[in-house]
Amino acid sequence: MKEREIEGAARRRKITGKWRYTWHLWVTLLLHIAAIVLFTRGFLLTRTELPHYSNSSDVSESQCLYSSSHNNTTTSSWTKPAVNRLIIIVLDALRFDFVAPSTFFPESKHWMDKLKVLKEVVSKSPTSAKIFKAIADPPTTSLQRLKGLTTGGLPTFVDVGNSFGAPAIVEDNFLNQLVQSGKKVVMMGDDTWTQLFPHHFERSYPYPSFNVKDLDTVDNGCIEHLFPSLYEDDWDVLISHFLGVDHAGHIFGVDSTQMTEKLEQYNSILEKVIEVLEKESGPGRLHENTLLVVMGDHGQTLNGDHGGGGAEEVETAIFAMSVKKPPSSVPVEYDTSSCQLDLDGKNVCVSSMQQLDFAVTMSALLGIPFPYGSIGQVNPELYALGAGSWNLDVSQQLSESDIWIQNYANILCINSWQVKRYIDAYSASSAVGFSSDDLSRVASVYAQAENHWLRSTKKLQLDKKDIDALVPALKKQIESYFNFLRTVAELARSKWTEFDLRMMGAGIAIMSISLMFQVLAILRANSQDGATLASSGYAWFFSASASAFFLLGMRAVSFLSNSFILEEGKVANFLLSTSGIVALRKSVVKGKLLKESVGFLLLSTFCRFGIEIGLSKQASTSAFMKEYTSWILNIASGLAVWNHAAEVVPILVLIILAFWLYKATSDIFFGWPRKIVVVCTILSYMLIIVHWITENNRYILAFMPESIGRIYIPRIVYAILLGQLLLLVFAQLFKGNSSDCKTNLVVKTTAMLSAWSSTVILLSGKQGPMVAFASIVGGYCIMRLCDIEDDAKNGPQRRLSIGPFPVMQWNLFATCLFFCSGHWCAFDGLHYGAAFIGFEEFMLVPQAIILTLDTYGFSIILPVFGLPFLVAMKYKADLGKHVLFTQLSQMYTTYGLITAIMTTFTIYCVTMHRRHLMVWGLFAPKFVFDVFGLLLTDVLICLASLYYFDQGKDGHNHN
Amino acid sequence: MDRRKKREKTTVTKPSTVDASSPPKISPSEAFIVTLSSVLGLGLAFYVANSGFSIDLVTDPSRTIFFIWLVELPIVILLYSRYRQNPRQCMYLRAVGRGLLAVPIGALLNCLGAIALGAPVTFQFLPKTVNWSLMMSLFTTVPASCVLGSSWAHWKRIFAQTQPNGSVEYLICLPAHGAVIGGWFGAWPMPLDWERPWQEWPICVSYGAIGGYLVGLVASCVFVLACARSQHVKQT
Repeated sequence: MKEREIEGAARRRKITGKWRYTWHLWVTLLLHIAAIVLFTRGFLLTRTELPHYSNSSDVSESQCLYSSSHNNTTTSSWTKPAVNRLIIIVLDALRFDFVAPSTFFPESKHWMDKLKVLKEVVSKSPTSAKIFKAIADPPTTSLQRLKGLTTGGLPTFVDVGNSFGAPAIVEDNFLNQLVQSGKKVVMMGDDTWTQLFPHHFERSYPYPSFNVKDLDTVDNGCIEHLFPSLYEDDWDVLISHFLGVDHAGHIFGVDSTQMTEKLEQYNSILEKVIEVLEKESGPGRLHENTLLVVMGDHGQTLNGDHGGGGAEEVETAIFAMSVKKPPSSVPVEYDTSSCQLDLDGKNVCVSSMQQLDFAVTMSALLGIPFPYGSIGQVNPELYALGAGSWNLDVSQQLSESDIWIQNYANILCINSWQVKRYIDAYSASSAVGFSSDDLSRVASVYAQAENHWLRSTKKLQLDKKDIDALVPALKKQIESYFNFLRTVAELARSKWTEFDLRMMGAGIAIMSISLMFQVLAILRANSQDGATLASSGYAWFFSASASAFFLLGMRAVSFLSNSFILEEGKVANFLLSTSGIVALRKSVVKGKLLKESVGFLLLSTFCRFGIEIGLSKQASTSAFMKEYTSWILNIASGLAVWNHAAEVVPILVLIILAFWLYKATSDIFFGWPRKIVVVCTILSYMLIIVHWITENNRYILAFMPESIGRIYIPRIVYAILLGQLLLLVFAQLFKGNSSDCKTNLVVKTTAMLSAWSSTVILLSGKQGPMVAFASIVGGYCIMRLCDIEDDAKNGPQRRLSIGPFPVMQWNLFATCLFFCSGHWCAFDGLHYGAAFIGFEEFMLVPQAIILTLDTYGFSIILPVFGLPFLVAMKYKADLGKHVLFTQLSQMYTTYGLITAIMTTFTIYCVTMHRRHLMVWGLFAPKFVFDVFGLLLTDVLICLASLYYFDQGKDGHNHN
Repeated sequence: MDRRKKREKTTVTKPSTVDASSPPKISPSEAFIVTLSSVLGLGLAFYVANSGFSIDLVTDPSRTIFFIWLVELPIVILLYSRYRQNPRQCMYLRAVGRGLLAVPIGALLNCLGAIALGAPVTFQFLPKTVNWSLMMSLFTTVPASCVLGSSWAHWKRIFAQTQPNGSVEYLICLPAHGAVIGGWFGAWPMPLDWERPWQEWPICVSYGAIGGYLVGLVASCVFVLACARSQHVKQT
């Protein structure tokens, strides 16, 4: 009976071969790919930036009645200018309730009613001034909002086409159109504007915006330049961006005296500005036909946060006042205002508009082409404030409001044509455009409006006879254009601002299933080994692993806060050191391996300093880290000794590594292909040394052309890597190694690691040898410390499984190496310079591969390929292939599980924080790095399983 | 499992320690006095810092921690030395002496541990780190060295295996573990971006350590009480 069972098992083993150990790794890979593709499609909203720009002559392509047809001038303009000059005062993080009277809200708070002057102006002359509740679209951060306000579009996280790092807007925008039309723009205040528009300003007075604790520098700078500029005539558009309210909110919150003081200060500034404008408002004076706009870019919560899509964050205000009084107020059909008496008994009306409409409305008022990518509509109420919008060139027997309606219909025609042109161009050029259903819906709505335009409205306007029929036709026309523009805006919002929660949910579900699958795979492997593990059973899984699970849990939970993600390196190192202390405790108990555990602790301390140096680099480039007060040891960099040490030490360490490799491989039996691999690696090391020496040494350069050192040596190293990998695959085909299974595994692992190491070291630059050295020492310590779990009690029946603790340590150590080698989870943390080692010009595919090797070399590639050491070193005796491979596959599953748990928590946390202030600055890059790392880990694990698990026959004699 | 193993071991090792070196005994009332005076010492230190110099842990961590260890130093050394092992062969003053000797050594160990875990090493933090290490030393190693002396086996049993045996050892082991674990957890709020003054090193770590120490003291009192009751039952 028993014999038959064994026979059956043996047959099964024979049939399935090595797939028996590795099939679940492949299934995991597939599950992860499915989960990540689904989640990413729901989460990472992408938009392509089109390189097209609107031109003033474009409008002739439309069927609309544009102004040049009336004027018969050569330079056609899209619309007739309704105002001559524009003053935009941006008050950052202006809440709607700062501006609107407190009677609009259920409860009166003491930060309300502070900007009194705006209400007074509105109640005094309701035709020429208006308060709007402006609804912004998330993300409500200043940079994205300014981009949205000026382009009239909906910026997303991945605006494809934008170069990483430089935030300058490459899309068509309001300011670009101003410059194209020869208008002069003056800017003062927040320096984000000069970053976004480096070449657009006639004059600019930027002030640094990142110091949140400084409430006054930017504002005082604005005030200093605003008032003199008001008396000058060398500009057409003036932009003044005040930051005080935003900073006061961030530091003190809305409910604070600092906030009230700031608002009162603004009130007095605005009073003065309006006073100046009214003084200069006479005919022929400077501000005869000027429009003043006071607006917020976004709102803020009571704590001063913004960035998300909450009502308090998206609701901001726009106040607009035309110095030249328009003859009447907007026709009642297009008036959305609601009125209330304020505390002083004055009637104040407040309307509502979308911030999306700002760019196109301002363009229409100034008579410049609309930005190419704008999808807003010209807001009727704001447009009606421009006095020029009430004039018609050709005198007709029409009432004022009918003239305005006619003007407005013409503008909407151009507006709709421009939006349709953008939608068509976008779906033609973008890989991820709109779905065809949506497009055909938009097209049919537009066709309807256009039809009506061509059939009746245009004719009626041109004929100028049937005036009674004209006005209803115009109104119907406006209605149909509204319908079209609304459809487009809805579609764009669903595409660019709303996460697809169903996709994200599906991704998370599959990810969770894959976690369960991995856990089951581990448990199954354990129970399969039931025979050999009889003494320990599941017990080890719970005793030795409690601390591993605890560390894993702490690390996973720490991802839920943005601060921990920002300092992830330190957190990982904290946990690594903790695991070192736990190991030290164990080794004290067992009274052995003290040297290794102390060494490991020391190593993690060194790692800590490496990580801090890396973080200091991050602090200098990342906007979020700028304020970070780091307690980093500042290395005296001026000393010449340091410079020399920095040159010599890496080379020495590399020589030591080469020597070490030689020593290690000389006493084990290596097959000839692998011997060649190792020799090639040592050769590569020597080449790298030559490369480094020639890089800075002038004397040697005299002997050989510069390009040999700079270009060819790295290429030779890459070629050697390829050759080594091919050789290893080739060696795989050779069977009949006389050595036993365990030695074979060690040899294979050593060959593989040495093949990769040279390229990884080359790409990491001068720090490479040190990090490699550290990783060898760390790996060795972890390997040795596995043995601690052995209990003398177990006696001859040694514990066969390796608990998750060493694997967890291995993983933590790999994470620390990622940060030690100067990387961090942000796009500016990529070492773009490494991609150009060995290449002069840009080539996408090879350089992407090289960048991946540099970024993940020490943290994923080497640890994954080095994992078999943990198994191989564990057993003194050769226990046969079955045990070894079961162990190895279990270890790989555990390693994959740990990485997957981390990534899953990152995914949970980006889902939870999808409306968080830092979601695009911090969580999304972290998500991209983790997801890429997970896929790479899975792929490498699968490749490693192909490489390490060979099919050769094996006596399971020891079982 | 951990706990089960521990219990197995304690039952194994108990007879051997009983006859080898008489485990120091302490009555519940004495344990209560030790706990109470340690707690009162902490309270006194805070009171002196607060009323005498109008500082606290947040405004001036360095000096406040200095007061804490200055007040605790005589209390801990003098009280614990009374319960030294082998009181006949070992003079009271000798126990006091080795307690004093353990202060800098323990401080060094704690300091190294903290640096491995990421404590800052710049000069501006030096006095804070030094004072914090001295305080931790008083919480962890000093009582043990007063009572146990330099017996490696006992140290190993208490600190590496967490197997206190006898009432005094509870009083050494639990507060020390409490202080270390409390300090470990106390470090977690440090990276958060709340921008509170207490997030700096070593303020919240000290809060965590003191909290853990107090919990450990109370727990050890409970254990001593339970220990005495079980012995009482055994004897009757």
